[in-house]
Amino acid sequence: MAGIFDKVKDTLNSYRTPGYFKKLDHKWTMVVDLDMCNGCGACVAGCYAENNLPVVGKEDCGKSRAFSWLRIERYVDGEYPDVKVKFIPVMCQHCMKAPCEIGCPVYATYHNQDGLNVQVYNRCVGTFTCATYCTYDVRRFNWFSYKWPKPLDQQLNPDVTVREMGVMEKCTFCIQRITAAKDKAKDEGRGVKDGEVLPACCQSCPTNALVFGDLQDPESRVAKMVNNPRKYRLLEELNTDPSVIYLKRVMNDGKSEE
Amino acid sequence: MKRREFLRILGIGGAGTGLGFVLGKVTQTPGAKLIPYLVPPEEIVPGVANWYASMCAECNSGCGIIVRVMEGRAKKIEGNPGHPVSKGGLCVRGQASVQRLYNPDRIKGPLKRRGQRGSGDYAEVTWDEAAAELAKNLSDLRKSGEAGKFYLLTSQLHGHLNQLAANFMSGYGSPNHIQYELFQNRNLLYANQASMGLNTIPHYNIEHTKYLLSFGADFGSTWLSPVNFSKGYGRMRQGEGARGKLVQVEPRISVTGANADEWVPARPGTEAILALGIAYAMVEKGYNRAGDASAWRAALSAYRPKEVAAITDVKEERIFEIAKEFAQTRPSLAIGGEGLSSYENGASGLVAVNVLNHLAGNLGVKGGVLPNPDDPLRAAVDMNKRITALASAAASSKVKALAIYNTNPVFTTPKAAKLEESLKNIPFIVSFSSFMDETTALADLILPANTPLEDWGDGFAEPAAGAPVYTIMQPAVSPVFDTKSLGDILLSLAKSMPGNMGPKLQAQSFAEYVRNGWKELYSKNRAMASGTADFDDFWDKTLQNGGWWSQEPSRRGLSVSTGAASANISNKPAKFDGDEKQFPLYLITYAHPMRLDGRGANLPWLQEIPDPMTSVVWGSWVEINPKTAESLGIKEGDTVSIESPSGRISAHAYLFPGIRPDTVALPLGQGQVYGRYAKDRGENPIGVLPLVENPKTGALALNSTRVKVSVASPTGRMVKMEGSTKELGRGIVKTVSPEEFSKMKKEA
Repeated sequence: MAGIFDKVKDTLNSYRTPGYFKKLDHKWTMVVDLDMCNGCGACVAGCYAENNLPVVGKEDCGKSRAFSWLRIERYVDGEYPDVKVKFIPVMCQHCMKAPCEIGCPVYATYHNQDGLNVQVYNRCVGTFTCATYCTYDVRRFNWFSYKWPKPLDQQLNPDVTVREMGVMEKCTFCIQRITAAKDKAKDEGRGVKDGEVLPACCQSCPTNALVFGDLQDPESRVAKMVNNPRKYRLLEELNTDPSVIYLKRVMNDGKSEE
Repeated sequence: MKRREFLRILGIGGAGTGLGFVLGKVTQTPGAKLIPYLVPPEEIVPGVANWYASMCAECNSGCGIIVRVMEGRAKKIEGNPGHPVSKGGLCVRGQASVQRLYNPDRIKGPLKRRGQRGSGDYAEVTWDEAAAELAKNLSDLRKSGEAGKFYLLTSQLHGHLNQLAANFMSGYGSPNHIQYELFQNRNLLYANQASMGLNTIPHYNIEHTKYLLSFGADFGSTWLSPVNFSKGYGRMRQGEGARGKLVQVEPRISVTGANADEWVPARPGTEAILALGIAYAMVEKGYNRAGDASAWRAALSAYRPKEVAAITDVKEERIFEIAKEFAQTRPSLAIGGEGLSSYENGASGLVAVNVLNHLAGNLGVKGGVLPNPDDPLRAAVDMNKRITALASAAASSKVKALAIYNTNPVFTTPKAAKLEESLKNIPFIVSFSSFMDETTALADLILPANTPLEDWGDGFAEPAAGAPVYTIMQPAVSPVFDTKSLGDILLSLAKSMPGNMGPKLQAQSFAEYVRNGWKELYSKNRAMASGTADFDDFWDKTLQNGGWWSQEPSRRGLSVSTGAASANISNKPAKFDGDEKQFPLYLITYAHPMRLDGRGANLPWLQEIPDPMTSVVWGSWVEINPKTAESLGIKEGDTVSIESPSGRISAHAYLFPGIRPDTVALPLGQGQVYGRYAKDRGENPIGVLPLVENPKTGALALNSTRVKVSVASPTGRMVKMEGSTKELGRGIVKTVSPEEFSKMKKEA
């Protein structure tokens, strides 16, 4: 009896695993140490530069149309003089059970063999479903085709598509860098080494708070860091199984209850 | 392959010229534009990036950078992983400097004034015409024996560009090279000289300290060398050994203060007294590790914690607690930032911080204050050369010609300096600025200089790493517009002047000048020569690595004597302009994490990326404590007027509990008139400041006035990206207590 239950549970679970992959090639994971993050915003600038994020201006920022794929949330607790300020960088969490993937009617967003939640711009028809389903508010919509006044367009990264009006976009874990590293490793007939792939945010971080790597590689830094007792995931109770792992901040009045 | 090796292979330098030079050669001939790619330059493979090692010039910290260049265009700037200052990281401003290079508002070629001064009516001229006009004006002045009436006004210059400017001025015969920036560390230089005999800024070894007592130092975003300190901060928190503690003393929580374990909101202007109170508590309890306790007790007798507590609004017990922890945690470190040095008596506060470090035995130890080697070019800031000196000379018509480069004093000096009016008295003003700004708008002639990504240069980073760091700046791309290197402009100007300008200005180009300068350094320094065949070999390696640095620490001993301390400290709180009744609130102005003193305001990323503390974008605001706001009837987002005895501006109110109820704070940098991204972003906070400068150093006191705040008629709208400042029980940023953390660490 128990065997049948387990089988049914496994089958159901396998359908809950996007892409129905039995095994992933990589399990890209980011670890964010909140005790090291000082909220400076360098990662956000790195993301703007790497991923051709348009600047929308004051008016559109006011309509929540700013493009930052990665934002730093800031929370303020308490009254003067006992004020506690906390920062947390929030990017696409690359959920293994992503709500956005279930919603998309045209499969523009799906899970790939690397454990990444990817967005296919060519398929996207802009129904906005994924952004509505997203638990973390990390999806950004191109309400217009944005222009870069000359010669600012010379800065655009040729490795990343410039998106057009009507397309949803979000953090890709700098998939262009992952692809480049995988190609190079393939040319050299080896696997991707730990530390070879660095998304722009992790690369630029002045405090080294962001670490990126393959969780399936037992020797990788992230594989070692996920055993940290400070580990937690954002809104984990919603069962989205995010690939971004946060390490709790150490604070004087820190509470430990879950 | 490691990143460093990757760099070595891809970094150019083999020919010692850089891709920019090659591209410059091939693109300058008309009609040749299509041909080169039939036989592409050796370095260019379409789709494959070249990385050039260079130096960031967005602030004075001298971070090593690598620039990703594809098909001759700069794509992205990252920290140079091998560089001892940046260690692979780079701040917001450094990354945005690529938008300075490709800014649509750059001046595209030489301009000559056609209409009235300040009307903005300029005619395009050629470089030859502009250079001839400049040479004529300057040689006429020199011929009439008035060479001393020529002033050169620049930002803080570094390395060989600074040396070249000095050589040019001495060859020309004028002693008047004024280097001016709002945040120039003049007080810090003075305080270290006066109390420790140091000519350079030391390295504050945050990385290894276990107790960091910061007096208004926003080292995570703006102070001295933010990337290097942030790298250190990360290691301090989660590096080897116990987790370091950060205590931040400041009236308003800065980005760094937001990360502190303890916030000590001392009354504005009394932080220096608090530091000395802590010092007294240390000697009274016998905690001090250096210095004669009885001598120091006598020297600090005016700073008994009981009296200090009354002045500073910090409880006596807390002063003793901090003193105990500061002295007994090993190693500890005290630092004093802009928040401390921006008072009228700022230099004395910084001396007080040195006293703390001396008494706790933090000078010259790992995790404390490490001396830096001297600048190999012996450059030093002349404290007597001030922007106010220029203003008064110009007002009395003692200035006949002025050249401006990379600084915008009309925007950053208070109205009382009457700088704009005085500058209008000068018959001839030339600007080398690449952007139109409030100061360049007065120029008769504009010869736009290259931006740092198109230019040669170098820097001998001061807050460095406690060891020599020589960083090279090389062109990553050829000039985007019709601009020239300032070094080249000065060298060719020197050649076109009649009469001898001296032997030091003979180089054909600034690139050659820098190379010759490094050759001289190389010949004098045996450490540079080790491991290299000859200078050419060394130079190639230097261009690949982004400079030269060694691990050799400076061995200079540091100490503070009671005499040096007593001569520089005072038990009077910093003075604030304005009557307490009429103007009830202290005003704190601070360098903005993105726009600093305003230089970043026209870079669109730096407007669109939210301010870390308030999340406001594309605007200016005033931070007010919610209780104060309530008593004044101010709601979030209201337009309020901020009035001081010196002026009045308006800004939007941002209610922030992390500021003292008797204080309001304004970020600097907004309120500019020029630039499509910078203009119409509120008003310049400098407009309410009185002209108060430190008599010894010439540093402008930014925290020097009281204000009153009242609701004004609404203008515009404040846009902020935050939804709520509360987590609303969602447990988004989870925390553990330090005790629990040390238990976790033991178990692991």
